Amino acid sequence: MNIIKLIVNISFFSGLILMASCKKDFLKEELTTARGMEFFKTDAGIQSLATGTYYQVFNTPFSAEWSYCTANYGVDEFSVGGDPSNGVWNNYDAGFKSIVTVNNSNTQTANAQWDNLYTGIGDANLLIQNATASVSTADAIKKIALGEGYFFRAYCYLRLVSQYGAVPLKTVPGTGVELEFTRATPEAICKQIIDDFKQAYDLLPNTGAPAKITKDAVAHYLAKAYLYRASEINDSWNSATKAADLAAIIPLCDEVISRHPLTANFADLWKYTGPDGANEKLSELILSAQFTADVSTNGTNQQHLYYTSRYDDLPQMQRDVTGDRPFSRLRTNYYMFRIYDLENDSRFWKSFRTKSRLNKSSGSYYVNGDLGIMYIINQPGDNRFASYKLNDVVVYSKTNKTIPNAYIAFPAGVTTDGAMLADVRYPSLSKHLDGSRIALNETRGLRDMNLARSAETYLIAAEAKIRLAKSGTGSYTDALPYINAVRTRAQFTSGEDRAGYYDGGGALGASTSGQSPTMNSFIAENSYYESNNIAVTTAASASLAITDINSLPAGDEYVISRLGLGSVYDRMLALVLDERSRELCGEYKRWEDLSRTKTLLSRVQTFNAQASPNIRSYHVLRPIPQTYLDGIQLNGKALTADEKQAQQNQGY
Amino acid sequence: MKKTIAIRRNVMLISLLNLFAIFSFAQNNFPVTGKITDNAGIPLQGVTVQIKGTKIATVTNLEGTFSINAPSGSSVLVFSSVGFISREVPIENKGQVNVTMSVADNTMDQIVVIGYGAVKKRDVTGAVTGINEKDIKSRPVVDALQAMQGKVAGVDIGSAERPGTVGTINIRGVRSLTASNSPLYVVDGIPLMTGGIEYINPNDIETIDVLKDASATAIYGSRGANGVVIVTTKQGKAGKTSLNLNLSTTAETLEDRQEMFNAADYITFRRWAYYYKNPATYPRGDQPTIANDKAIFLATSDPSAWANIARGWSSGKWDGSQVQTTDWRGMVTQTGITKNLNVSVSGGSDKARTYASFGYLNNTGTQKGQSFKRYTANSNVDVNATKWLSFGTNVTVSYSVQEYGQSKTGATTVSSSASIYESARALFPYAVPYDSAGNRIYNPGGDIAYKNVAEEWTLAQDQRRTLRAFGSLYSQIDFGSIHPALKGLKYRVNFGPDFSTYRDGTYVDANSVISSGSSSASLAKAQTFSYTLDHLIYYNKSIGRHDFGLTLLSSQTKFTTDSSYISANGIAFGSQRWNALSKSYIPAANLTGYSSGLTESQLRSFMARINYTFNDRYLLTVSARRDGASPLAEGHKYSWFPSTAIAWKVNEENFMKNTTWVNDLKLRFGVGVTGNSAINPYATQGAVTSLFYPYITTITAGSIPSTTLANQSLGWEKTTQYNVGIDFSVLNRRISGSLDLYKSNTSDLLMQMSIPTVTGYTTTFANVGQTANKGIDLSLTTVNIRSKDLTWTTNTSISYQKDKIVSLSNGKQDDINNTWFIDQPIGVIYGYNGAGIWHVEDSAAYRQFNTNGSTFSPGNARPVDINGDKKIDANHDRVIIGNTRPRWIVGMTNSVSYKSFEFSIFLYGRLKYMYNTGGEAQTARGVQRTISYYNENNMNAEYQKPFYSEGSGDPYYVVLGYKDASFIKIRNISLGYSLDGKALKTTAISNLKAYVQIANPGMLFSKIAWLDMDVVGPTYNRGITIGLNASF
Repeated sequence: MNIIKLIVNISFFSGLILMASCKKDFLKEELTTARGMEFFKTDAGIQSLATGTYYQVFNTPFSAEWSYCTANYGVDEFSVGGDPSNGVWNNYDAGFKSIVTVNNSNTQTANAQWDNLYTGIGDANLLIQNATASVSTADAIKKIALGEGYFFRAYCYLRLVSQYGAVPLKTVPGTGVELEFTRATPEAICKQIIDDFKQAYDLLPNTGAPAKITKDAVAHYLAKAYLYRASEINDSWNSATKAADLAAIIPLCDEVISRHPLTANFADLWKYTGPDGANEKLSELILSAQFTADVSTNGTNQQHLYYTSRYDDLPQMQRDVTGDRPFSRLRTNYYMFRIYDLENDSRFWKSFRTKSRLNKSSGSYYVNGDLGIMYIINQPGDNRFASYKLNDVVVYSKTNKTIPNAYIAFPAGVTTDGAMLADVRYPSLSKHLDGSRIALNETRGLRDMNLARSAETYLIAAEAKIRLAKSGTGSYTDALPYINAVRTRAQFTSGEDRAGYYDGGGALGASTSGQSPTMNSFIAENSYYESNNIAVTTAASASLAITDINSLPAGDEYVISRLGLGSVYDRMLALVLDERSRELCGEYKRWEDLSRTKTLLSRVQTFNAQASPNIRSYHVLRPIPQTYLDGIQLNGKALTADEKQAQQNQGY
Repeated sequence: MKKTIAIRRNVMLISLLNLFAIFSFAQNNFPVTGKITDNAGIPLQGVTVQIKGTKIATVTNLEGTFSINAPSGSSVLVFSSVGFISREVPIENKGQVNVTMSVADNTMDQIVVIGYGAVKKRDVTGAVTGINEKDIKSRPVVDALQAMQGKVAGVDIGSAERPGTVGTINIRGVRSLTASNSPLYVVDGIPLMTGGIEYINPNDIETIDVLKDASATAIYGSRGANGVVIVTTKQGKAGKTSLNLNLSTTAETLEDRQEMFNAADYITFRRWAYYYKNPATYPRGDQPTIANDKAIFLATSDPSAWANIARGWSSGKWDGSQVQTTDWRGMVTQTGITKNLNVSVSGGSDKARTYASFGYLNNTGTQKGQSFKRYTANSNVDVNATKWLSFGTNVTVSYSVQEYGQSKTGATTVSSSASIYESARALFPYAVPYDSAGNRIYNPGGDIAYKNVAEEWTLAQDQRRTLRAFGSLYSQIDFGSIHPALKGLKYRVNFGPDFSTYRDGTYVDANSVISSGSSSASLAKAQTFSYTLDHLIYYNKSIGRHDFGLTLLSSQTKFTTDSSYISANGIAFGSQRWNALSKSYIPAANLTGYSSGLTESQLRSFMARINYTFNDRYLLTVSARRDGASPLAEGHKYSWFPSTAIAWKVNEENFMKNTTWVNDLKLRFGVGVTGNSAINPYATQGAVTSLFYPYITTITAGSIPSTTLANQSLGWEKTTQYNVGIDFSVLNRRISGSLDLYKSNTSDLLMQMSIPTVTGYTTTFANVGQTANKGIDLSLTTVNIRSKDLTWTTNTSISYQKDKIVSLSNGKQDDINNTWFIDQPIGVIYGYNGAGIWHVEDSAAYRQFNTNGSTFSPGNARPVDINGDKKIDANHDRVIIGNTRPRWIVGMTNSVSYKSFEFSIFLYGRLKYMYNTGGEAQTARGVQRTISYYNENNMNAEYQKPFYSEGSGDPYYVVLGYKDASFIKIRNISLGYSLDGKALKTTAISNLKAYVQIANPGMLFSKIAWLDMDVVGPTYNRGITIGLNASF
């Protein structure tokens, strides 16, 4: 009995200790440092989610390489520069499949873009659901956040359908592991996109451009969606909607253009002097992905890395902040040298860096500040230069010294494109260069990325007019006012210094790198006169306006003849595609334009020497990522090899 | 059933007293004499000879003889001596009794810690193996894991060569797919939070016991799924006060199994690569031209490197032998010196016992800039305050400074190398570090991807400091000593605090290989505190031949970690390192990161265990544990973990009495359930990702869902394991060991899995899937030779394990994205298989592929077309190529002692598995390992032709990279010389041992010639240690 008593006592005693040492909710897990998903059901959460989705949809693509891989590689404008990390995306070779052959750690997988876009759609679905469910009557929730949600979803689906064709359509947020998906038809996806854009159009106000999604931004993209649906790639099913779509484009574009006038000087678009400067607030800009200096913002724009040709390994040169870090991924193709009226069209000279300042003098002849590198973009028949590469031969008129490194597009006797391809040097697209970075190897760029500007709106309208003319509504010349508006802006104005040049590399003043200006490789001039070999003039350019559709500018006639085009429609479509190159090259649109118009095959075969042996007609769509095919199920079962093949795009 | 550590020492104490049995005399009338020898015929001195059932006893003299008066001629003599098996011999009316005594392999008397208690090895019911102090001392090691390598069957321990970094450990393979697979460490009864074993001075460890099967680990319930490693530190012993001193010095050099192309071979290699890129433009690799060399070796970018290549052209005709090869790797390596000093004292009375030690380790790495310093102090006190109350404390404090060397922390994408050695290896053999004027060349060889490592060890620093203190405090009441009626009842409370502070400072100079061009620094700090509070009730009772033991436990654990971090660019001046990231030096725009965080988690457990022994032959253990873990979802927090085990000591049976060749034989069977909640706290909560987005200049707070889908029904992962084991010693204990067979099934597998991104999420944690695992563990000790001067012992441990996935998230469907396949092991390689390279004579075959879109040509890697459709596609041609987990893990130690010398050699191996070496990309922009590559002069090469790539290398080069990874390595050879008491009689020293050891002398065999698969890399350290142990 005694024993039992004692055991009871001891149990009681130890029980007391237990009670004292633990609370009832000892195992309750409290997340005190972060918010849970419930937050998105509040009005503050809905607005927070909207802002977060701006980041997810607009910013994240620009910190990755797949953005240019899927938009600017494998087209007529660019091919692989000196670094092959992602060459597979340009070359359409054996490694370009549902699993992309990995060349190195920078190689972008087949699913990178796909995953990113569906993540954006997931966020948009959540935003739409919660904003719809909110009992708030505030415009900030019921109009703006909801409108933004519809826009984001449509924006992502427009990119998906443009890249992959048929894709799974998901319009409600995921709440658990779902594995059963099938690809919806492009027709169903287009309908969803247009419905969403229309909702956004009705809901959104017209303030805050280009940082905020405005009604005009929606109008621009709605016009783009209509144009996509009416394009050749959808010809097998779009006959019912085509006429109405094309007709709807024009008023949308006119409306946008009226509120977003073109900037007077094309150069002002690229006159980046520091984060959030004047060039990022121009009225021409409709929508931009926002980046800024504040390190607490999450976005890092890395696109400044990819277009620059190697300059730092050349004699008398070294890397600096203003020359940027030359990842040398995208090389400017000869196509870009041939389509401009290089004498009168200022855009080439304002889009490409053709001169670099000497910044590492050695020996007694050169000093820093001399001209270190020059690219002479001449035309066939120019016999001034003996070789595509001339070291210490070409004389710089301002100093009467030779230039250590000169590259010539057409050396004497060469009339076919490609002399400069023997080396990994080329004039670099300078639209994204960023001299405001904090160090010469810093990858985090601070420039905004423009997503939509009204020059493109003009060209969308022009293309719609051409398509309308083809279908018998209006005439082809109806397109010319829209095209000419863009072209006229590109002319040199009276008094303009045609050799004057600026790019974002010049934004050293905004950089905290502490780099001495004597180390600059940026120089505020281009090779206009050396290339064109004409006397210095400050007169206005001859008019670039096109007046006769049967006599297009020489560059376009060159393209048309290379492509062997005959019909008026084909000629006019080539014109508008060329004009898009002249105006918008390197602005992350090209591949989808060529795919949409089914001109990808012919243009790549003709103008992209690296890809031409490999490209096939099926490359007009991207391979469905193998990770998707491997991950989904059909009726509770993983897909068989043949079922997967059936879900894959033809040819892959 | 004796369970506690204190009791365990009492057992030892009692047996000690027995040895010095007290003699007493009575009326005796039957004198007996005799001689006692060991198996080799050597006379044994000091053997106690006792008349059974009396206190009459004597001891043998120097010649091994004795003489005693027995009460009668039918008395029985009992012979006992330390280290020998006691024998009982009836006198049978003989006046002379000569006896041979066998050396006792006292493994069966070893005390084994089993979790909340300890038992003699002979009474263990589960699969428990371990090592003791002697094993730990047998090799110079810096942490306890190293000491266990290859000595414990079923435990696979990898090697890490960076000072201060511990290897990986897996007990009985990998069960969980994505949750943690590391075991639970329990130090003196207190589970450590995470890791921590590296902070224990191995010299303070008395034993390490590894609980392998679930019947043993289930006692730790939720935390036992991956096995439990129980560390018992040394305690003071009653009796003589002793002082121990260990000193050792190790000198190591870095060895590299991977040979790189020298300058001449690399130059030829790159020429071929250009040739194959475009044969029309570039000359063949064996027909070089100066002009081509200038272009492809970037002569204008680095004239110094070109000057070296130009040497090869000095005669006008190419002579590669004239080009000098720069030893970049030699530049960053050094002889690593490890100094190890340990002093410990112990002593006490039966009232109080104490142990204290101090350890100092200073390990300089074989790569410049790497080092590890550790100071450890351990002190414990056990006090028997009264007859019924005892308490004790044990505190371990360690402070360590790890110079990590060049690390990825703080690095930008300029370099992806993980160490200064890797950075050095990436440099061109023909490039030089300094130009003719002595200036450091920034990019030797002219390629911006490769920066100079000269002086790098002064340019990048990553210093990690840890202060860790953990301990256990206990108090125990023995109610039996209060009142006889309560005999066998004890109450014990354990409190185990575990505290650590961690600080990681990094500094990267603007000129460092890993810099982005501006200097940067970061400072990370973390403080972790956890505690475990256990209440235990023990009750033991014997009724006749029935022995009962009851253990009850209530336990709670709480972990708290708070952390902070700051990093910035543009450090004002280098000497500041990470110590001045302040407003006065760093403008806000240069701050690249700052954060603070808090993580908390809790565990609560209740456990009951019953031990029952009948007739000292049949043993039964039954336990049940209920655990709750806070990271699991509401409603899924608690679960039961039962276990049971039985054992049968066969040799105790009467029918075995005459089977004299069997010394010990025990059969065991156990089954138990263990759990795993090793997911990060808050995984079920769906925390949103907060961020800032700038609307022009208006920085606005935003948030998006995590890309990991929150799972609100995440519950316990459970493993049920069955174990059958046999412990044996036979033939006079010349052969002893244990054999275990096990089979386990894991259900509700906790895993992070990729899900189709169409859902909006990329991954989720889920309880899906089931795996099965089976294996065999064999530990075997054989005494091959035992004679007066020479003993040869072999210890072997062999483990075999095979695991497979039974089902996955949606039944028996393969999950390719996660490379999980039904009926296949976890961790397989899946992809295109390789069939060597295409040859010229295969032209008919590869042309068929080329008509289907391939671009094969002779010298390309040749993937296998599984379905034979002359197309290589992801849907039809990918297969499972191999298993990446070793089937067999073997370890063998041979020890030979001759007189005072002791020699041992330790072998370790992993067999039957595959490793993906990645193949050889051969894009020739960077350096290249020495390989046999295809070219016009070497068409039967192992690897494909090089291709200087500006878009695509060989699309299938990886198929040539899957290799059989089996190896057997000589880990260690040692030679020791000890002086025992006799020789040291005139000094104060009671024991002295000097030894020399060689670590990693070589491989017995390795299927991959250029890798050391023990460390899974090409480099390892080879070293020699000289050491001294002395006891006073």
